Amino acid sequence: MIARLIAAILILAGTPAFAHRLDEYLQGTIISIEKGRLQAQMTLTPGVAVSPLLIASIDTDSNGVISQTEQLEYARSVLQDLSLTIDGRHLTPQLVSEQFPTLDELKDGRGEIQLEFKADLPGGGRNRKLTLENHHQSAIAAYQVNCTVPRDPNIRIARQNRNYSQSSYVLEYVQTNAESASVEMSPVAVLMFLSLAVLWLRHVWPTNVMRRFAHWRRN
Amino acid sequence: MTIRLPFWMATLTVFSMSSAMAQTPTARIVSSANSFLSTLDQKQRERALFAFDDEEQRVRWSNLPISIVRRAGLNMGELSPAQRAAAFSLVSAVLSKKGFEKVQQIMDGDELLKTNQGKGGGKGGGKGGGAMFGKDLYYISILGTPSEKNLWMLQFGGHHLALNITIAGERGILTPSLTGAQPAVYTIDGKTVRPLRQESDKALALFNALEENQRKQAILTYRVSDLVLGPGQDGKTIQPEGLKASSMNEKQRAMLLDVIAEWAGIVHDSAAATRMAELKADLNDTWFAWSGPTTVTSGSNLTAYYRIQGPHLVIEYAPQQMGGDPAMHIHAMYRDPTNDYGRKPATK
Repeated sequence: MIARLIAAILILAGTPAFAHRLDEYLQGTIISIEKGRLQAQMTLTPGVAVSPLLIASIDTDSNGVISQTEQLEYARSVLQDLSLTIDGRHLTPQLVSEQFPTLDELKDGRGEIQLEFKADLPGGGRNRKLTLENHHQSAIAAYQVNCTVPRDPNIRIARQNRNYSQSSYVLEYVQTNAESASVEMSPVAVLMFLSLAVLWLRHVWPTNVMRRFAHWRRN
Repeated sequence: MTIRLPFWMATLTVFSMSSAMAQTPTARIVSSANSFLSTLDQKQRERALFAFDDEEQRVRWSNLPISIVRRAGLNMGELSPAQRAAAFSLVSAVLSKKGFEKVQQIMDGDELLKTNQGKGGGKGGGKGGGAMFGKDLYYISILGTPSEKNLWMLQFGGHHLALNITIAGERGILTPSLTGAQPAVYTIDGKTVRPLRQESDKALALFNALEENQRKQAILTYRVSDLVLGPGQDGKTIQPEGLKASSMNEKQRAMLLDVIAEWAGIVHDSAAATRMAELKADLNDTWFAWSGPTTVTSGSNLTAYYRIQGPHLVIEYAPQQMGGDPAMHIHAMYRDPTNDYGRKPATK
């Protein structure tokens, strides 16, 4: 169905040379890794032939205007189509900002949607593995994913792997000032840990010390 | 036969020759800029001139036609023949002979696009209306005041062309700049023209000069559809990938520098020499990455994407699959992530 619609639009457009994107939905993502946080910028550029599909999913009330609510809903739907993990643990991307072109700009294939999102990165070991899968509009998508050179000298990118379409991306990096998981404990866990430590000091530790002292005296 | 000149004429001739020779490239550029500005009326001057720190104007460039992404400044179509000549004289003063020729070929290609698609951009022109293609639709603007000492910038561009040249004393900083071509192969006056021929041919020659294991490192196993650091992506440095030049032999490294020179050499010769020295010093930390076909139809352009990246350099060559042959539609980007728009000297 999508293919037929695109073909029909292309025939209507009827010219072999275009100045702008046609039948693809370019989705470029640039990721930045910091200590404890990931930030990403997505630039979404629908081609002129696929813009009707996109407009239908953005301007959901079809009133010809992309309202703030529709912008947020669409931005969130894009993030829902992402799968983000660190060291096998699922991460939830949080929308930071969204910027939309007008409907006319989208119709003409000159519209860029800009999304920014972030995700908190839990503490982990020295060697870390981040994965990003983008499933948004996969039938028409042209994906691109890259990461910036980290500003933090303690973070070094080790390897990037992608599948051919760049819908799947794996980033391996080394964090030389990695914190142990205990530092990441919640205040409740810290309190529990301290209580247990106090109990041990009051009951277990003196008993052990007394036993050893008695043993030393006997010998 | 001897020609006898009066003493005063001989003195004047020698003096003017030596002063022309003594004039630095920047002095010539400033003189051309002032000559161009002197041809404009008050309203035109106001439209052509911007503050050096005008961030909106600075980033108002694109690969897209002007009816899709609006430019500001003065377009060639609204200038009188004398004003237009003065504008081109300024652009040619800033560029090398080869660079100016490339600019003209990109504009000629766009003129051909207009002829082929009809005035007004024809179909695919978008609702923005107005003309999309042609030599008249290239804009010139000056940010700051032309000076031999203080920073100022010349912008010239339109569809598939964005030259941002910051003049910083004797330096001419050409980053970020975008070149492109559509059609990327055409015939004019019986001569076949490929505006980005060298960028295509030299990169392919370098790729072919690599050993099998080097190629494996250089090849990206994924598809790259477009520029990663195109318009709107200022100030980003992505993680480099591919084959590091420190793993190349001397001949291959020389070939890599030769590819780089296709961009660094767009600006006038003395600025290009300074830039090339900087890039040569970075060569060990420069990467070459390739995605796509490794063969080319004779007389045509690469359909593969490639990227050259170093500490002070990003070059991207990205053929476009937009309803036609990617060899006929190319976008290319040239950046210095540490010094785009001459920001580095500005902060000194």
